[in-house]
Amino acid sequence: MSAVKIDEQVAKTSGYNVIGKSVRRRDALAKVTGEAMFSTDVKLPGMLYAKVLRSPYPHAKITKIDTSKAEELPGVKAVVSVKNTPREKFNTSATMTFTVPHLDPVLDQYIFDDVVRYVGDEVAAVAAVSEEVAQQALKLIDVEYEQLPAVYDPLEAMREDSPDIHTGCHEGKNVPGDIVKIAMGDVEKGFEESDLVIEEMFKLPVQKQAQMETHAAVAQVTPEGNITVWSTTQTPHPTRMILSKVFGVPHSKIRVLNPPYVGGGFGVRIGCSGKAEPIAVALSMQAKRPVKIVYTREEDFTASDTRHGGYVWAKLGVKKDGTFHALELKGILNAGAYCSFSCEVPGVMGAMGLSVYRIPNENFVGYTAYTNTTPAGAMRGFGNPQAIFPLESVVDMAAEKLGMDSLELRLKNIMKTGDPWCLPYPCGSTGLAECIEKGAESIGWERRGKLNKPGATKVRGIGMGVGTHCSNAWPFCVDYDNAYITIEQDGSVQLATGVPDIGTGTSTSLPQLAAEVLGVDLDTVNITFGDTASTPFDIGSHASRTLYAAGTAVIAAAKDAKKQVLEYASDLLNAPAERLDIKNSTVFVAAQGLTNSCSGSGVCKVGSGERTSITMKELAAHAHLRNKQFIGVGRIVPPNSPPWEAHFAEVEVDLETGQVRVIKLAAAHDVGKAIHPAIVEGQIEGGVLQGIGYALSEEIKYNDKGRQQNYSFHNYFLPTAEDVPEIDAIIIESNDPSGPFGAKGLGETGLVPTAPAIANAVYDATGVRFKEIPLTEERVFFGLRNNKA
Amino acid sequence: MQIEFKVNGKSCSLDICPTMRLIDLLRDELGLTGTKEGCGEGECGACTVIIDGEAVNSCLVLAPQVRGKEIITVEGLAGDGELDSLQQKFIEHSAVECGFCTPGMLMSAKALLMKNPHPSEEEIRQALAGNLCRCSGYSKIIEAVKDVASLS
Repeated sequence: MSAVKIDEQVAKTSGYNVIGKSVRRRDALAKVTGEAMFSTDVKLPGMLYAKVLRSPYPHAKITKIDTSKAEELPGVKAVVSVKNTPREKFNTSATMTFTVPHLDPVLDQYIFDDVVRYVGDEVAAVAAVSEEVAQQALKLIDVEYEQLPAVYDPLEAMREDSPDIHTGCHEGKNVPGDIVKIAMGDVEKGFEESDLVIEEMFKLPVQKQAQMETHAAVAQVTPEGNITVWSTTQTPHPTRMILSKVFGVPHSKIRVLNPPYVGGGFGVRIGCSGKAEPIAVALSMQAKRPVKIVYTREEDFTASDTRHGGYVWAKLGVKKDGTFHALELKGILNAGAYCSFSCEVPGVMGAMGLSVYRIPNENFVGYTAYTNTTPAGAMRGFGNPQAIFPLESVVDMAAEKLGMDSLELRLKNIMKTGDPWCLPYPCGSTGLAECIEKGAESIGWERRGKLNKPGATKVRGIGMGVGTHCSNAWPFCVDYDNAYITIEQDGSVQLATGVPDIGTGTSTSLPQLAAEVLGVDLDTVNITFGDTASTPFDIGSHASRTLYAAGTAVIAAAKDAKKQVLEYASDLLNAPAERLDIKNSTVFVAAQGLTNSCSGSGVCKVGSGERTSITMKELAAHAHLRNKQFIGVGRIVPPNSPPWEAHFAEVEVDLETGQVRVIKLAAAHDVGKAIHPAIVEGQIEGGVLQGIGYALSEEIKYNDKGRQQNYSFHNYFLPTAEDVPEIDAIIIESNDPSGPFGAKGLGETGLVPTAPAIANAVYDATGVRFKEIPLTEERVFFGLRNNKA
Repeated sequence: MQIEFKVNGKSCSLDICPTMRLIDLLRDELGLTGTKEGCGEGECGACTVIIDGEAVNSCLVLAPQVRGKEIITVEGLAGDGELDSLQQKFIEHSAVECGFCTPGMLMSAKALLMKNPHPSEEEIRQALAGNLCRCSGYSKIIEAVKDVASLS
């Protein structure tokens, strides 16, 4: 029996010491005292401040650009534009640039180009002694534009008479990259064999991540050409790869790091933070001084990735007894002006939309089309919410047509462990049935239909939605993790991992995993993270993967270190390594149990052969004196596994004003195993509130000049502390066989089925089916009125 | 222009540009970077500080306006090495995620409790309504403040 097996056996028999407990978050003290350092706080000697000149037009050719007057302004140290920056194409999405071996990378961006493709596109940038001077200098840059025709809707953009936004779209007019197709069984035959077929089109809004810290970067270039960038990225290592490609500098000479905190992400900075990193580096190279760039909130809205809006068609075929027999999903989403994640998002949309239910005949076709709007990229959920709002709406419609309870209909059809599905990894675990049961209990599902008195102007309704997601990006794109565990000379533990902590608690939960495996006190474990210079490669924090995937590497590293420790201790304790274990930072002979009487007693002399235990501190010192250190390495390609979630909403609709208020949202989540329950709850609650925003109030619209109408918190409505309803975050643990101590992904699931749960509740309350979100007062008011007429 | 004011109990006298915002005075001149800028237009509350007992968005205040006034920033919450009970409860409740809104949340909550030591949940939500948080869903933050409000 290996040491690893003993470790697992000990955990099983004695329970866990560290995981499963809401220990104090490691970042909390620094964050409540104001000492936590973010990119926007970085200040270096001689540092300059940057501002960006952005296009006022949605589509134009730059026929002239003269920066000489700006360069002459006192205090200006560098001006960069298409004229003096690398003509190296890239994609601000790290994934598309480097990590999708099955796709041809769509590289459609320069730092600055001579064509601008949306209002806010980068034209030039200035570094000066202050932001004020930089801002003044922008006005002195002389640019002449030749305006080009523009298009804002993806369906229009695909028409032959629309302008070409990029060249080389081989799949169709303005369609970037490849069209995603997923198929199982025979969907045509499946619909023929169905007793009921529901087919509807849905329209989805453009949502914004609206993380609280806007994009920021500080770049420093040494005289030898080494580059250091402090930034808000969610992916320090892949971001370094992008900078290396753009500037032609080896990876080894570039350091990208978080300082170490990041004010949220939600997908918006997987790769570059807008273009903050490359612009700061370009300016710093010219000015030969450190350069800091901080996006204004308006820049963050208008010039960094959004969620994809667009159109989704859902067609569901059902047998008389309620068995789902065929499903077809089709999505045409708005890519915006540059590709970013627009090739991968439809893939996840299809993969997740087809994997909730056991359906023998399934088909998905999805793609995006370029338009002259802000690029769409990754946002929490990554295509999944766009699939689940339509899917869970047609499931409810089918239930009504069949005269079945929609909860029972779902229970009858949901995926079970081991069921065949379209994903290239097994359905390893599912607690969805339990999620449905617990969520229904919390909301009081049986109250449905008995909530309203005749003639009431405010009516209540209850609705539900279910969904799944992934726990990392493998095998959709390259996804691997490394971790180092170093046992220091005093027995304390140094953990190094390349993932950042963007607020999700990674810097707390990963040390928990290491301490649990190693059997050491959590306080002795330190973590280094989010820095390419001191951590091994990791693809970063996204795809709900950080705890699951990086955690798997941390466990592998800890097991490796533990094996070395036990082998070394074997001689000292005169017992085979297989019989040793570590608990309370003490190596002991497992068969004899951990004795507290070791220190000071006769048996404690190292090398005497009589002792039965030795502390990690003693052991590390003993090893050090014999030229030995224990260094564990974890190198893994993570498996993948589905988390599951069921949301139940109770809403109140004001029939006179169209206002929808969520009274309660019960969110039951199968997270596999909650390593840190309070962090898990926080992830669920925060995700749910973003889902409520997606359902009710968050939407970016464009006017006929291509300008965003919702570019600030004045006119883009985030839910506030006064809007948040009771959220019952229910944790279900299905103990996944592949995840760290049974854990699965969680980060994105909180908002996957929220919108359909709310829309289904609105239908329950009003009898009006809304196929477009958000359910703003205006949309609901007119929806109710038109329905009456 | 020369202005005198107090920050976190200490008197300051500074020569400043009259168009400087308070947030820049705090962050750039005094190095108090705990006060965060999330929008620069008074919508997100990340820059909230307390001026003479009132929670205020420091991005909307010009530096000359604080002449003779007393400011508390997040750095001034803990006294004599002891955390304020709000800070303690935020830690206990894991009411901290990315942490960018945290200083502003704490200051809005502190201003409320200075005036009203035992507010209702409704009053807490109202006091925090000007502080946006995108990570947490507010639940744990509200719970933490409620917990402090229930202390005798």
